[in-house]
Amino acid sequence: METRKNEPVRIGFYVCHCGVNIAHMVDVEAVAKYVATLPNVVVSRNYKYMCSDPGQEMIQTDIREQRLNRVVVAACSPLLHEHTFRGATEAGGLNPFYFQMVNIREHDSWVHTDRLEATRKAMALARAAIQRVPHHKPLEVKKVPINPDVLIVGAGIAGIHAAITMANAGKKVCLVEKEPSIGGHMAMFDKTFPTLDCAMCVLSPKMATVGSHPNITLWTYSEVVKVDGYVGNFKVTVRRKPRYIIEDLCTGCQECVANCVYKEPKFPDAFNLGLGKRKPVYMPFAQAIPSIAIIDPEVCLNFKRGKNPDGSYTVSDKCKKLCVVACGDRKAIDFTQKAVDKEITVGTIIMATGFKTFDPHRTPYYGYGVYPNVYTALELERVINASGPTEGHLVMRNGKEPKRVAIVHCVGSRDENTNRWCSRVCCLYSLKLAHLILEHTDAEVYNFYIDMRTPGKSMEEFYNRVAEEGMHLVRGRVADVYPDPNDTASGRLIVQAEDTLTNRILKIPVDMVVLSVGLEPRPEAEDLRRLFNLSCSSEGWFLERHPKLAPVSTFTDGIFLAGCCQGPKDIPDSVAQAGAAAAEAFSLIDKGYVEQEPNTAFVLAEECSGCKSCIPLCPYTAISFNEETKKAVINEALCKGCGTCVAACPSGSIVQNLFEDQEIFSEIDGVLAPLPQ
Amino acid sequence: MSKTANPFEERITMAGVAEAAVVDRTTTLQTLLDTPAGRRMLTCIQCGTCAGTCPYGDYMEFSPRLVINMLRRGFIDEVIKSDSLLRCVACYACTAKCPRNIRLTDVLLPLVKEQVLMNNTQMPAEFQKSLENMHRYGNPMGESPRKRAAWTATAGVKVPLIAEVKCEVDVLWFVECYTSFYARGQENSRATAKLFAALGVDFAILGNDEKCAGECGQMTWESGLFESLAEYNMKLFGKYKFRRIVTGDAHAFNAFRFRYPMYGLTQPVEHTTQFFARHLEQLKPKLKKPLNLVVTYHDPCCLGRAVGAYEEPRALLQAIPGVKLVEMVHNRVNSVCCGGGGGGMWLDTYYKQKGMDRLSERRVKEAIAVGADVLAVACPYEVSRFEDALKVVPHDKPMVVRDVVELLAESIG
Ligand code: SF4
Ligand code: SF4
Repeated sequence: METRKNEPVRIGFYVCHCGVNIAHMVDVEAVAKYVATLPNVVVSRNYKYMCSDPGQEMIQTDIREQRLNRVVVAACSPLLHEHTFRGATEAGGLNPFYFQMVNIREHDSWVHTDRLEATRKAMALARAAIQRVPHHKPLEVKKVPINPDVLIVGAGIAGIHAAITMANAGKKVCLVEKEPSIGGHMAMFDKTFPTLDCAMCVLSPKMATVGSHPNITLWTYSEVVKVDGYVGNFKVTVRRKPRYIIEDLCTGCQECVANCVYKEPKFPDAFNLGLGKRKPVYMPFAQAIPSIAIIDPEVCLNFKRGKNPDGSYTVSDKCKKLCVVACGDRKAIDFTQKAVDKEITVGTIIMATGFKTFDPHRTPYYGYGVYPNVYTALELERVINASGPTEGHLVMRNGKEPKRVAIVHCVGSRDENTNRWCSRVCCLYSLKLAHLILEHTDAEVYNFYIDMRTPGKSMEEFYNRVAEEGMHLVRGRVADVYPDPNDTASGRLIVQAEDTLTNRILKIPVDMVVLSVGLEPRPEAEDLRRLFNLSCSSEGWFLERHPKLAPVSTFTDGIFLAGCCQGPKDIPDSVAQAGAAAAEAFSLIDKGYVEQEPNTAFVLAEECSGCKSCIPLCPYTAISFNEETKKAVINEALCKGCGTCVAACPSGSIVQNLFEDQEIFSEIDGVLAPLPQ
Repeated sequence: MSKTANPFEERITMAGVAEAAVVDRTTTLQTLLDTPAGRRMLTCIQCGTCAGTCPYGDYMEFSPRLVINMLRRGFIDEVIKSDSLLRCVACYACTAKCPRNIRLTDVLLPLVKEQVLMNNTQMPAEFQKSLENMHRYGNPMGESPRKRAAWTATAGVKVPLIAEVKCEVDVLWFVECYTSFYARGQENSRATAKLFAALGVDFAILGNDEKCAGECGQMTWESGLFESLAEYNMKLFGKYKFRRIVTGDAHAFNAFRFRYPMYGLTQPVEHTTQFFARHLEQLKPKLKKPLNLVVTYHDPCCLGRAVGAYEEPRALLQAIPGVKLVEMVHNRVNSVCCGGGGGGMWLDTYYKQKGMDRLSERRVKEAIAVGADVLAVACPYEVSRFEDALKVVPHDKPMVVRDVVELLAESIG
């Protein structure tokens, strides 16, 4: 049943109690009574849960029995239930766009404390909708086919898991990683809590799968530089930085590394956080995928020192190039390699860009960077790891094994001066590290914690188990770390903290201090946010569409989140989220098409003056200029309905569906009109 | 000079602006938890950072952490019965490191201390005496107020009195007590006067009318005493026109920054080191005489941790030709108090009775360990405290204590 022109408008109005969420602050009966008095309103009801089945059926029945042709529901945010009520309206036989939603929860009952005023506000908002809805027109949802390929950004454990999941199901995946190898932070860990299995042992098979999977195109040492388009049809430009080794020709034999003119490794090795050394040509780490060498032009003798303004390097040809000789017929080394931009088209994107660890220079009183025996937890992971710089011998920078170690929890976390959040994994990894130290040495280990937080399956049991091993668990946040005044030669440090459970100030002399640094957003997260048109929380984590009900979706359709770029989490949760993101991407892809909200703009050609002012303003480059007609044209498929051009058009010749002038003006009139006393 | 060219511009103006009221002048222990500052106390996670960092934490029966929980549980009376809190030297260490940004040093602890003092029949004599002096003479040493401006005769440059300057001045220089009466303090004042003159600053002082800003009364929340001094000085300020207050006394600076706005002070306040750092570009060409000294800098609590002005004094020192700046183990946010704050200036005997070590001695040991010729300071309390400490702490190489402004003046020649 569609409304015909000149048919009288008959509105059904429904105000929801939302349990008590709305009803406690808004007098819903009064609102319903008031709206009943407004023009065109045929029924006005209040109901406990409009979103429930009976609530929706009520709308459908009323449409049929009362011959309604417009529906207004005052309830929660349209983000949550607009879809539901449009569905109910459609099921009742009307075009779903004859429906209008009023938000009296997030915009009213949840943010006010004066019941009378909140009720009046609900009335004003309701009337705005009642005045707007008669101008609604029937609209149609467009279906656009979806490209089945997927882009995954970041190849830590989350990106790897999502990539394998999608690829196994036959989807073509392009996996882009910034570093020369995949693996992310997990590849740096020694063992993982709570099972204490070796991180690399469980990760490397998955890395190998990624490296050889026929459905995965792996681009390491690459970054996304441009994203255009929309869900189902993103155009993405990926910059492949030069590694000066031709990937297809390199066999990973590392003859070049062995024969480099530098006989000894000399430069800080990033994978080992500078604790070890590497040559100018190197393999990122033993199990690196792809197993391809890379040349660092900053230090390689065959390049001139320093970057050119465009970021490239100039070949100096000053080196004997023994690496090239060693590579021989394989001819894999190419000093003239340049960055190349590749353009791909995908339908969905999974962001798995991860986190960075807190930089403890920001808590100067822990002495990081000042005293050599102060380490971050990640550095300790490398020191303990058999493939690390000390081949798994727990020795400090001075080559000695520590006799006493302090592990400082919550570094940078839960602190108004640095990061306010709990990083969730630090207590557990601190317990794990304490266990590993006890396993490697005879040291006394002190864990200084504020609250021991061990949520999750088997985690408290893990805590219980390692506590029995005899570490000292001190409840107090470390306040100061300084050299032992009585022993300045040995590099021994005093760790000072209140033991809050015995009300005593402890000054514990230790050889080594380990800072359990928290997790924080990567510095480039803000750039990525802009590039992919995402939102960030105030802390800088990518924002999920709904914290409970859409935890891996974003506000940009077709882009999903996995792993720590959305917030701190442990490996099991990152993997679970990666699976969820993959499933969300599937459900879009397998449907075959995406529905587009018909709130697009169009140009009234007869009124367009051809001034072109709208063209550069469109953030989605949806507007072009027709040289023949000399008029602007909006590509409906690209338009996201932001309304920028509508507001900017000097001749008022752009109209936006669902936001036509008459609709908006009536709405404003409605909200501003005086209310009965 | 453009704003970006001067890194110290912005912070100074910020430090000078009265901060949003977290408590008001009528706040008491009973009403504290209803104030914005008090509500922060409800967020305390009992981590013990405050107690762990407190220089006298070892000697406190009730650490700051415990005080908060006793307050929240309604057991604060027990805390007040103990004299534990008299050991707080108002050094801002706890406040600066508190992960919940709880105002311990200048809000909670003084309110408790006030109650402790009211309950304590035997107030330490030395302390009692200085409070009386402040009340009677407007300075803690009991000097005649009529001699307050006497030092200006030896200043070597003209030091105008604001009462005699008929128009608005840019800088009202609040000289304060130590810097008016003590010989070593006067050196600081002469240096400041010389620097003002060299820069052509439009300044004036209050002269004999000035009275102690009352910061120690504030830090102990000796409300009656502080109120009367603050009201007196505010009235005096009201008589004149000036654009900013500059003071070389870090404690007066602290009072003007935090408490005086509650009494209506609206002009920005700067410490001399902040003021001179802001004029560093003009000052630099005048710093001609090389001093050839290894200098280490002690951050005064009321300047460092209280407002984060760690770099201004250091920038000044580094601008002096021949000065090599070295850092002590504890510096900036981690600096160790000289022990003079919160009334500590007059509690030495009492601390000794309680078997407590002197913080000034702890501090000079660190200065000696880095091999400095000069222990530079930016607060007049520190001069006498560190000079005393150097008399008892053995050291091979001679060391002197100098205020940053004294070193600057010397380099001007
Ligand atoms: S440092 Fe702050 S949060 Fe921690 S116990 Fe002290 S007052 Fe509470
Ligand atoms: S202000 Fe200083 S002395 Fe007072 S409690 Fe805090 S840390 Fe201790």
